Amino acid sequence: MPAVSVRGLHKRYGPVEVLRDVDLDVAAGETVCVIGRSGSGKSTLLKCLNLLEEPTAGEIHIAGTAITGSGVDVDAVRTRVGMVFQHFNLFPHLSVLKNVTAALRHVRRLGRDAADDKAMTQLERLGLAHLAHQRPGRLSGGQQQRVAIARALAMEPEVMLFDEATSALDPELVKDVLDVMRSLAGSGMTMLAVTHEIGFAREVADRVVFMDEGRIAESGPARATLDDPETPRLRDFLARVL
Amino acid sequence: MHDFLRTFFDLREILDVLPALLTEGLRNTLLIAALAIVFGVVAGVLLAMLLLSRRRLVRLPARIYVDVFRGLPAIVTVSLVGVGLPAAGLRPFGREPLGYAVLAIALISAAYSAEIFRSGIQAVPAGQLHAARSLGMPYLTAMRVVVVPQGVRNVLPALAGQFIIDVKESALVYLLGLGFGQRELYFIAQERQAATYNSSALVAAGLCYLLLTIPLTYAVNRLDRRMREGRRFTAAPAPVAVPAKAAV
Repeated sequence: MPAVSVRGLHKRYGPVEVLRDVDLDVAAGETVCVIGRSGSGKSTLLKCLNLLEEPTAGEIHIAGTAITGSGVDVDAVRTRVGMVFQHFNLFPHLSVLKNVTAALRHVRRLGRDAADDKAMTQLERLGLAHLAHQRPGRLSGGQQQRVAIARALAMEPEVMLFDEATSALDPELVKDVLDVMRSLAGSGMTMLAVTHEIGFAREVADRVVFMDEGRIAESGPARATLDDPETPRLRDFLARVL
Repeated sequence: MHDFLRTFFDLREILDVLPALLTEGLRNTLLIAALAIVFGVVAGVLLAMLLLSRRRLVRLPARIYVDVFRGLPAIVTVSLVGVGLPAAGLRPFGREPLGYAVLAIALISAAYSAEIFRSGIQAVPAGQLHAARSLGMPYLTAMRVVVVPQGVRNVLPALAGQFIIDVKESALVYLLGLGFGQRELYFIAQERQAATYNSSALVAAGLCYLLLTIPLTYAVNRLDRRMREGRRFTAAPAPVAVPAKAAV
């Protein structure tokens, strides 16, 4: 049973078709990088997976549970799918620790001590424990994004989604975040990452998915696909970004 | 010039009226304003959330309320509530004019505060709600924990302005006729002026209003600054492990 299964996914904004009939399976523990031009539908695909965007048509299963259709508990789905955003979206009025404990306390209903314990464990793992009582605004971009990753991981999701997690970072800070993602992939987390870091995709991803005009134009094992693309569109895209 | 000074700054007049102003008047003005502010803030936040609803049917009643109470002159609202309600047989506060006064000022304050909060909440980036929802928080939880606290911080200075207006509008209670012991600043001063044909009591009352409104401004601005900077250190960092607990 795949961790993520997408069948016939369509997303339309009025007359604009952003996703056209996307099929995708991600096995448990697999890391898949989604690449493609801006506007190709990568981010929308990701947002459909935790229902931040509502699919127009199609089916999505997370670990066998249908999350599309009527009667789905959207909030329950989202606790199983962690998401990391391009602009971090940390809560600026809360300390780093409280950013991580907010959902533990208000969604998981943990007590203060249990939530703090869990959050600190996660922050320590990512080397952020010393920043626990700082406000996010005092942190570097790389630190902020790692806090955002800790915040998502604290909910113990089955799948992690990364939406251009390094695009808003200064070049020298990108590596910190990629290192975290790399070790997360190595730990067996199921990951789906929209990224412009082709080098990272080639090295870390099990598979790459190339999206073009709302469709999956090409997909396959990361190294083979990126080194020797089959379609002219992917070849063209890689020639532009590399 | 002498007449002018005697009419407005007659020291004996001021000293005569000051004890009543500083005890009874200040207490009642503060009481009316504080209750109206608290109600205005609570109702204002709730109204703002209704105003931001995606459903027209939820939005509409809040919209009508805000438009009506912002659109009426305060003096009309106070008269309608303070004189109209009892006359119509609705006496939630019996014959206590202060109760009606608080209600009227609070209704007005809620309408203005609602618009202030709405603009503040709308200024919170959409990504904040997305992030909160992506962690599994239901909409109302996300608003309560993440969005509204930031929205309120956005509008503290504007809110301070509203608080000052609430303090000043409490003077309109004089319309309802207050008994001894219930009089607020303006009522006392105005009674005195009518009795002595001297306006010094009003100047004294004015100074008392400034005694309330100016510190209020500074208090809110300080709060604003502190929230912007964030507390550098939490007073007592939450203990990560509590091994001593069993021993206690």
